[in-house]
Amino acid sequence: MQDQAQKIFIVIPAFNEEAVIESVIREIQNHNYTHLIVVDDGSSDKTAEKSASLENVITLRHKINRGKGAATKTGIEAAKLLDADIIVTIDGDGQHDPANIKNLIKPLLQKQTDVTLGTRLLDSAGMPYYKIIHNKIGNFITWYLFGLWVTDSQSGFRAYSRKAAEKINTLGDRYEYESEVIREIYIHKLTFQEIPINVRYTDYSMNKSQKQNFCNGIKTVGKMLWKIFA
Amino acid sequence: MLYQGTTNFFKGKSGQTLFKLLVRYIVWGGMIVVTFFPNITFLIAKSVGIIDNINAVILTGFLLIFLMIFKLLSAIERLEQGVSELTRKEALKEIEK
Repeated sequence: MQDQAQKIFIVIPAFNEEAVIESVIREIQNHNYTHLIVVDDGSSDKTAEKSASLENVITLRHKINRGKGAATKTGIEAAKLLDADIIVTIDGDGQHDPANIKNLIKPLLQKQTDVTLGTRLLDSAGMPYYKIIHNKIGNFITWYLFGLWVTDSQSGFRAYSRKAAEKINTLGDRYEYESEVIREIYIHKLTFQEIPINVRYTDYSMNKSQKQNFCNGIKTVGKMLWKIFA
Repeated sequence: MLYQGTTNFFKGKSGQTLFKLLVRYIVWGGMIVVTFFPNITFLIAKSVGIIDNINAVILTGFLLIFLMIFKLLSAIERLEQGVSELTRKEALKEIEK
């Protein structure tokens, strides 16, 4: 089913994920995806080494940490260089279930849309309440500033057609990247569909030091406002 | 400051523009003028519509500081983007091999 007529690349930005990166990669590969790009965003642990030790994985390394947005963009640029037709971005901490990839790419394979956005909020069962609130605030701010309403503006589990990947040009390096993509979709009049995804909130992912929290949320809003007014 | 800015501009040093030179003249030249002719601040206050001349000076000061902070933040943002671009190019060399 996968990688038949169209080249599907899975981009995995990762920062200090040595504990889980191997299992994340293997899980994706078990779903028969063979074009994987891991972008190690200047990790201080062995994320890059563990990724590079696995077969059928291209491991790219940022020499210094630049943020999830920057790492995702690097992975997408790499996929474009390798003639990707469809590019899927998925988090490197194992929160996203690779079983959802087939639902994400189906509308793209059928040329129904340019972008598919994984959304946690069409079925938010199991999602911590504070994350739901944080998400809804993010959705409102993204809509207010960038003009497009989506149910999960902060999800990193998305898929892009080649056309969308060529048009979308982001400058945000950190968590504002996800909202900036929404803005690019609006500006370039790309079509999109929201696809429900399930997210696994493990002790590992919930206790990461670099996850989104209230303070990062404030910084993200600040950066979004700066990009409008500066 | 005025002499240094003028010589840097006419020597064609990098980063020197006419706009920067004009800003330097307005800021530092303005300070010299106000030092020797303090009553000029009344004229400035009257033309802007502020009653008290000291308020005009303070307000102007705030505006200048805001402008400087804005320029600094813009420069930092450009630097950050440049660093990310360089980091990306370095990482993508692996693909281009």
